[in-house]
Amino acid sequence: MTESEVLTDLGRSTPASLEQQLERFALDVGELHQRQKLHTEQLEEALVQMRTTYLETVRSMAYVVEAKDAYTGQHLERCRVYGNTVMAALGVSAQYPDAEYGFLLHDVGKVGVPERILNKPGPLTAAEWRVMRTHPIIGYQILQGIPFMTTAASIVRCHHEMWDGVGYPEGLRGEQIPLPARVFQVVDAFDAMTTDRPYRASLGVERAADEIQRMAGAQFDPDVCRVFADLVETLPQRL
Amino acid sequence: MSDAATGQKRVVLVVDDDSAIRRVVRTVLEADNFEVVEAADGPAALLLLEAINGRGPEAVVLDIMMPGIDGIEVCRRIDHSRVKVVMLSARDDAETRDEAAKAGCDAYLTKPFSAIELLDAVEKLAT
Repeated sequence: MTESEVLTDLGRSTPASLEQQLERFALDVGELHQRQKLHTEQLEEALVQMRTTYLETVRSMAYVVEAKDAYTGQHLERCRVYGNTVMAALGVSAQYPDAEYGFLLHDVGKVGVPERILNKPGPLTAAEWRVMRTHPIIGYQILQGIPFMTTAASIVRCHHEMWDGVGYPEGLRGEQIPLPARVFQVVDAFDAMTTDRPYRASLGVERAADEIQRMAGAQFDPDVCRVFADLVETLPQRL
Repeated sequence: MSDAATGQKRVVLVVDDDSAIRRVVRTVLEADNFEVVEAADGPAALLLLEAINGRGPEAVVLDIMMPGIDGIEVCRRIDHSRVKVVMLSARDDAETRDEAAKAGCDAYLTKPFSAIELLDAVEKLAT
C-alpha cells in the first residue's frame, strides 16, 4: 500500500481526495448558478404578468367610469400612451411608474357624481357645477389608500388644476401641481382637440399643437409644452 | 422548528476525524445559517450529544471510518427520536450502506460530496 492509499483507507483527506472534493464543489457552483438564473427568469416573468394584470385591472376600472359618463372612444388609452411618451421624453418615467394608471383613471371620481348631472343635456347650474367639481377629490379618496397608486392619486386630484392657478379643486399654480398631472393636462387637451366630438370636428394635429403652445405658461406648464411640441408629430393618432 | 420561527439557529454536529472535512462541512452549513459544532471522533460525539441533549443538535453529519468507535456504531447509539443522522463517507459499497441503514441513518452521502445535496439533506431533516 502506498502512503496515500493507507491514508484513504483511514478515511483521511489526501491531496487527491481534496482535489476531487474541489471539483465536486465546482459542479455545485455551476448548478447553483443555473438555478439562480432560472429563478430570476421566473421572477421576471411573474413581474411582467403582475404589471399586465395591474394595468388591465386599472383599465377595467377606468372603463366602468367611462361607461357611466360619455363614451369617448379610445380617449383613455390615448391619454395613457401620449402621457407615457411625454413622461419618457422628460426622463421621469422611472420616477413615476404608476403615472399611467392616473392617466387612465383621471375621471374615476365621476362615480360619485349623479348621472343626471353627468349626462345633463343643457348647461349646469352653479350648484351642479359645485358637485361636478368634487370629482377630483372623490377620485383621490378612492385611490389614496393604494400603495402603488401614489402618483396616480395625485394626477386624479390635480387633473383640473391649471398652471396659472385658475383651476380646481385647490387653485394650485405652477410647480405646486405635480409634474405627472401637468403632463396629463397637455395630452388630455391635445387628444380632446384632435378627435371628432358630436358638437365639433377635430382641429387636426397642427392646429391642436399650435393651440397647446398658445396656452403654454397660462393653462399649461411651458416646459411640458416645449417637450410636447418636439414629439407631437410622432404620436400615434389611431389606437 | 426552523430558525425563522424561533429566531434561533438550528444546530448541526459534524463528526469526522479529518479536520479538513469538518472545516468544509462547517463552511457549507454556516453559509445556510446553521450553527455548527464539531467532534473529531465517536466518543467525543456521543459525549457531546449527551451533554447538550434536548437543546440540539437537530442533525448529525457523521463520517464512518474513524479510529475507535466508527460512525456506524455512533449512529446505533444515537437517540433517533431526537436527532437525525446524515452519513458522509468515502465508502460507497452496498454492504456499508446497508449497515448504515440498519443503524438508523436518515440519509447517506458519499465523499467527494455535493454541497447542494448535503444542504438539501440537512434542511430536510433538521426541522
